[in-house]
Amino acid sequence: MRTVDREGAKNARRTGGFWANALRIPSCPLRLSGAMIAAFSGTLYLLLYILYPASPVHAFSGREVYENVHEVRSRSLDRKAEATMVLFDKGGGKRSRTLTQYSKKADPEAYKGLVVFKSPPDLKNVGFLIHARTFSERQLWAYFPEYKRVRRIATSSQDDSFFGSDFSYDDFGGPPNLDDYKFSIDKEEVLDGKPCYVIEVTPKIHRKYTKYIAWVAKDLWIHLKIDYYQDKEIYRSGVFRDVRIIDGIPTPFKTDMENRKTKHRTELTIESIKYHTQFSDDLFSQRSLESAGK
Amino acid sequence: MKRIPPGEWGTRNDKCTGRFIIFLLMCIMGASYSFADDSLTVSGQINLRGVDARFDDSVKEDPSLTGRLKLDAVVSAWQFHSWLEGGWDGTVRRPVQDSSLFKRYDEVYQSNSPFLEFKELYLAHSSSNLDLRMGIQRFAWGRLDEYPPNDLLNPWDYTRFLAKSLEDRKIGLPSLSATLSKSAWTYDAVWVPFPVPYRFPLPNERWFGATAASALSQADTVEITPREPDLPSRTIGNGNIGLRARHAGDIEWAINLYHGYDPRPVFKTTRFVISRKTGKTMIDPGYVPDFHKITSIGLDGAAVKGAWSLRAEAAYIINRYFNIREELWGYPLFPLSGSYPLNSIEIKSDSLNYGIGTDYRLFEDGLLTLQVQQTLILNRPETLYERKVETIFWANLKVGLMNQKVETNISFAYNPEHGDNMAKANAWYVFTDAWKAGISGITFTGPSQSIFGRYARNDELGAELVYSW
Repeated sequence: MRTVDREGAKNARRTGGFWANALRIPSCPLRLSGAMIAAFSGTLYLLLYILYPASPVHAFSGREVYENVHEVRSRSLDRKAEATMVLFDKGGGKRSRTLTQYSKKADPEAYKGLVVFKSPPDLKNVGFLIHARTFSERQLWAYFPEYKRVRRIATSSQDDSFFGSDFSYDDFGGPPNLDDYKFSIDKEEVLDGKPCYVIEVTPKIHRKYTKYIAWVAKDLWIHLKIDYYQDKEIYRSGVFRDVRIIDGIPTPFKTDMENRKTKHRTELTIESIKYHTQFSDDLFSQRSLESAGK
Repeated sequence: MKRIPPGEWGTRNDKCTGRFIIFLLMCIMGASYSFADDSLTVSGQINLRGVDARFDDSVKEDPSLTGRLKLDAVVSAWQFHSWLEGGWDGTVRRPVQDSSLFKRYDEVYQSNSPFLEFKELYLAHSSSNLDLRMGIQRFAWGRLDEYPPNDLLNPWDYTRFLAKSLEDRKIGLPSLSATLSKSAWTYDAVWVPFPVPYRFPLPNERWFGATAASALSQADTVEITPREPDLPSRTIGNGNIGLRARHAGDIEWAINLYHGYDPRPVFKTTRFVISRKTGKTMIDPGYVPDFHKITSIGLDGAAVKGAWSLRAEAAYIINRYFNIREELWGYPLFPLSGSYPLNSIEIKSDSLNYGIGTDYRLFEDGLLTLQVQQTLILNRPETLYERKVETIFWANLKVGLMNQKVETNISFAYNPEHGDNMAKANAWYVFTDAWKAGISGITFTGPSQSIFGRYARNDELGAELVYSW
């Protein structure tokens, strides 16, 4: 929980509690009581609200919010996760996939990732390897034991369905290159009791979606909800639940991703996760891909 | 025709080979390095397949019930892998030829049902940058999807030839392999201690194809019995070796060397014999598979350019043998009972095999694969059926629908030199994680000696039900 406190403090310094914190710094000659500080802060907020009622003031720009999101996602890159994906179709049919995901921050590259399926039998030991030289330049490989060959995949597939699920290959990669997107804060909203920035993100590069709207938790800097748009219609929608702090990193243990057009839905549940794993580069090689990460 | 008795490794050289393998195993076991999680997994599949032959005059196939069992055990740096297949094979028409249940490594014609076969069975040891494997293995060298020129280690099982995928055709080989990884380089070495022949169906089976023998007669009273060939002796000198060095990068490439017996079938003639026995005409077609050593030096590479995933490979093959046109084999025009000598039918030529292929994503879950490959026969005599340059175009469209609940695959292959082609399609519906069902169809056209045309009577529709766990 320490990290959340630290993040919260950071947040507090930049937003509502900024003045209160500033006035408490030891070098400050002015010493005020808690009640006085609260009264002062409240008055300041009221003044700001009266002076600028029609133009919402956010402590961050959309880009700054995403810099924080990027920072949290980057910290979460060194990890091993065991997960289950359950695919629900419109007619009530259900299929499951279990997988192991490994990733690491890669210096001087951006990151490396490996996903290996453990089930169903048809997908067992099928693997997907990603080397991100920069956050926008990636190399992808897939391995199908049936063919015994590692196959290079063009990055144009990054928005495609990840092995029949409603997640995309990109969802299993690392954070994106922020320079490839435009960010603007739409509003602030409370979602499931958590204050969020609602941010519109528009890609400058060609993607399957024309924009997405993301609900970013203010104190955790992670997505709690995301709606992908194709023009004016939402085509894919994700909800991130059961957020737990693991090794100081906020982690949604359940993610629901739904394709609004087909009504197909995928539920991803993290069964176990370990951060700060410090895997060697060998794990992210084609040799490792061929041997299912063993 | 000397036959190696089943299961006997009686010669001095065989014993040396056996001791060498034991020594290597001890060396492997002497090392120890642990980085993997211990695990034991078992998975399997049961497959029920039925085929409807589209031509009344073609050989029929009974339903097949086959299964596979895979077992993987990982303990520390050690891995044991077993992939056993078996069941009742509906392509087999004759009564059991011998009592062996397991597929063997010393016979070309192995039409037994029921059968068992280890597709893979090996012990592996992995250290930080070295993998060693010993046992029955299959390899996939090269980059192309069909007929990769550098993929020469495993001979093929032709019993359901073009109805099966490339990997399903491969016969697992008793072998030793080592893979050494060093930064961007990976080096592979494979040693196959004795040559293993490819497998053929018998002449009265569905995938025998149009050959000189099958053209002789289709009558029920005629029984064509090809003879098993003399296999090269099992000596260390007759083993096959493969070496491969791979380099990873924006353009991935590899250099390959293979020296060993050619996995591509070629025949030599003996004598064409017609005899009568208990009201039946017995025919020895007068040719047997022949085995020659080749040396192949090849290159392959892969890269991604925009939305295209590209790959290419080439192999220069020294001392490859080819058969001349079947009308020159010397069969009598009006065969009567007797023994007839046949002409020499083999010619030797170096050849260059090369090809390029690409994947292009047409739409989400829609992948188009295109491939063109050519064989250049450098010293081609006029007696050869194959032209100086033989080309095959391949196209494959794989489409997943309903989040891959429905999977469809359409393939087309065309050989312009002879105008023969093959079209294949299949569709699978995935009911649950365990159950899926599929339908398939395959059709061929072309002259009887061409690669696809020889199966011109093999058009079929099929249905399959698969249970996996």
